[in-house]
Amino acid sequence: MKLTRRHFLRAAAVAGLATPFTTRGADAGRKFRTALIGAGWWGKNILKEALASGRCQISALCDVDAMGLEIAAEQVSDLSGKQPKTYKDFRELLDKDRPEIVIIATPDHWHALQTIAVLKAGAHVFVEKPTGHTVNESRAMVKVARDAGRVVQVGLHRRVGPHHASAMKFLQSGAVGEIGMVRVFAHSAGGPEKPAPNSEPPDGMDWDFWCGPAPKRPFNSKLHPGGWRNFLDYANGQIGDWGVHWLDQVLWWNGGEYPRRVFSTAGRAIRGPAVLNAREQTTDAPDHQVAVFEFPKFTCVWENRQFASNDAEKHRIGAYFYGTKGILHIGWRDGWTFYPANKKEKPLHEDPQLQEPDGHNLKLLWANFLAAIEIRKPAAARLELAHRSSVLPMLAMISWRTGRSLQWNGAREEIIGDAEASKLLSRPYRAPWIYPAA
Amino acid sequence: MFKLLIVSCATISLLTTSIRADDWPHWRGPTRNGHSAEMAWLDQWPTDGPRVAWKAKVGLGFSTFVVAKGRVLTTGHADDKDTVFCFDADSGKVLWKHPYPAELGNKYFEGGTTGTPTIDDERVYQLSRWGDVFCLDATTGRVIWSKNLQKEIGVRIPDWGFSGAPLVHGNLLILNVGDAGMALDKTSGKIVWQSQNKEAGYSTPLPMGHGNETLVLLGSRQSYVAVDVLTGKEAWRHRWLTQYGVNAADPVVQGALVFICTGYGKGGAMLKTSAGQPQELWKTKVFRTQLNPAVLVDGHLYGVDGDTTSPASLKCLEFATGAEKWEHPNVGSGALITAGGRLIVLSGTGELMVAPASPAGFKPTARAQVLKGKCWTSPVLANGRIYCRSVPGEVVCLDVRKP
Ligand SMILES: NC(=O)c1ccc[n+]([C@@H]2O[C@H](COP(=O)([O-])OP(=O)(O)OC[C@H]3O[C@@H](n4cnc5c(N)ncnc54)[C@H](O)[C@@H]3O)[C@@H](O)[C@H]2O)c1
Repeated sequence: MKLTRRHFLRAAAVAGLATPFTTRGADAGRKFRTALIGAGWWGKNILKEALASGRCQISALCDVDAMGLEIAAEQVSDLSGKQPKTYKDFRELLDKDRPEIVIIATPDHWHALQTIAVLKAGAHVFVEKPTGHTVNESRAMVKVARDAGRVVQVGLHRRVGPHHASAMKFLQSGAVGEIGMVRVFAHSAGGPEKPAPNSEPPDGMDWDFWCGPAPKRPFNSKLHPGGWRNFLDYANGQIGDWGVHWLDQVLWWNGGEYPRRVFSTAGRAIRGPAVLNAREQTTDAPDHQVAVFEFPKFTCVWENRQFASNDAEKHRIGAYFYGTKGILHIGWRDGWTFYPANKKEKPLHEDPQLQEPDGHNLKLLWANFLAAIEIRKPAAARLELAHRSSVLPMLAMISWRTGRSLQWNGAREEIIGDAEASKLLSRPYRAPWIYPAA
Repeated sequence: MFKLLIVSCATISLLTTSIRADDWPHWRGPTRNGHSAEMAWLDQWPTDGPRVAWKAKVGLGFSTFVVAKGRVLTTGHADDKDTVFCFDADSGKVLWKHPYPAELGNKYFEGGTTGTPTIDDERVYQLSRWGDVFCLDATTGRVIWSKNLQKEIGVRIPDWGFSGAPLVHGNLLILNVGDAGMALDKTSGKIVWQSQNKEAGYSTPLPMGHGNETLVLLGSRQSYVAVDVLTGKEAWRHRWLTQYGVNAADPVVQGALVFICTGYGKGGAMLKTSAGQPQELWKTKVFRTQLNPAVLVDGHLYGVDGDTTSPASLKCLEFATGAEKWEHPNVGSGALITAGGRLIVLSGTGELMVAPASPAGFKPTARAQVLKGKCWTSPVLANGRIYCRSVPGEVVCLDVRKP
């Protein structure tokens, strides 16, 4: 659909259509048939915003864990008085329910296949970050989305968060001066890790389906729910989780330009060696990681550490922009703070405006998503942007695995002159799932 | 049970180490419902709060206190170890410690110990999150027997580890391990009966009379279950799905009525169990006790509604109908007990409050900031002292004895 907004409105007016696109309020009574794939912690947070918007009717839910699915369905009927249909298989949901909007909040290794399936079924997508697990998956999503002409919003709510927006304005006003370096980071507590015993999956959980295209590890309570973040088969560690949010702030500021060189090192110095055998396992993601992204005009360093967490460092999470006029920290619950270079000036600070309990801005992001659907305003965290922020951690992981720095051709999204590293831009899928072509 | 304690106390009260009338030897106190029979304690305090008898540091955790024969026990985690601490109730002196290696286990929270030990006469029983069971000598802390159930029989550990306190019944030690509990011989640790190897919930096994039998109520992953205490045979099971399988709050029982209630938006249900399979009499969505159960006083439930991630409020509900009587907002994820018709509430941020237990409203007669930081653990009243702890493991013993 190559219609501009004005074109479209005129066309619609001529045809006398009262489509949901005309204006936001014009057909406020009509609700989007909305479905959710992945009814875990975050999926339910998004679901609540969809309902709270008053513009969505939750028609169907999908999860491979029957218990989580039933709990989510109960919550929807509590909140809306309507019982959604429930499915284990997202393909069946798409087929039978014909949703207009689908929320995808599964673990990262599912995002690409499910986003592509939803787009092919003709629905708009709200998918969680990161966009994919390997680079070419994410590229395939971008390609399919371009052809489908549907809105794809990615869950990077920090693109609309009020204190992020004002920090970005502050940066762009030149108040921080010339920026030579950025440091993005997320530190938290942790310690040595012991393996936990493998077990049968919980009753009603289709573990094989959960693993899907990724390798099938023996079930372990460390994995589900939520714990898969620390397993590289399904995610990309802390950099692929928190890192995406903060690297996205950097790309927001620099207009989305890619770095030209990436290097990363990481390890499990404190957690200890990863264990995986028939009896037990530990996580296998690093407990600390440093990645250096060399941009044409500045250097960006990512750091994460899941140990030695105390108050010695002023901020534990966020982004520091180092400029000639001072240092700007953009954080989470600590808002943003500017520490001027001139000692006579006082620091400037702005508090965050977050939704609790989980400290996010999903309400704004959802509203932005609906506006993108209805009045064709570009979505704030649209796939093309989020794709790039998601790719950076993936590149860091490849550098760490191969033990060398990567030259990145951003225009072509290719690693230059390194066949072995280039192979890691994709990964083999477990049958019957087929890796999406970019 | 409580009558029995008084009788035995009267007969042996001359022994210095005897059980005192107002001991609190196990989770939720002498009658296992958050009630203390203690009447004479100070419920009005100077502005800076009651006198602090002693303080201690025990490490990270959520374990509450058990008190008997002048000893006070609790647990905490530090440096890759859990430690069971035994203090002298009068002085706060550490009488003994029993450390054992344990993981921090900080999945979505700060980690540390979650369960409370149990005192049974001269023995102390401790179940760790990771399936270690210890029988300790209450005087010395010496290990009488110990085992790890995960290593021994491969029991499944629920997501946040085992957290129900052990229940002693006759010669049995009942644990919330497995789909519907497990019983060990308390003298040897030998398994007497066990249930299917599925994930347990997080409540403490709660005995309940049923005709001439005793049933034990357990929160399991997907239900609340009642089993015969002697055999483990299931009497009934009520399907109850709570997010992440967190059936954590103990049921509140009166006769054959069993009130179950959990967090994550789930709510509660009143079950009539006289006819075997439970029937739901009423349900509520406005009362959601996530970690600590409510107390029942004169036909009313008092408890904390809301999750640790929410502002959470203190609420009063009519037991017969589920009607909400009042709400006192922003207490946080605290906990409460009751004694002499009064509520003793520790707020989620360490404010201790005393108020009459009344459906007319929450009107504290005393309040004091007794701890700093996060407090998710129930206070305990025993022999004129109130014990409180914070999550990082600051302990205060407050003297509320009447002069
Ligand atoms: N934007 C944010 O701030 C933010 C915050 C938290 C999580 N997230 C993202 O949300 C996503 C989910 O995270 P979570 O913490 O809720 O994890 P979770 O484990 O709680 O939930 C994931 C759910 O997906 C289900 N699932 C797995 N495979 C499935 C399949 N094939 N079909 C249907 N359901 C399937 C699981 O059973 C589980 O219930 C992740 O991508 C994460 O990065 C984003």
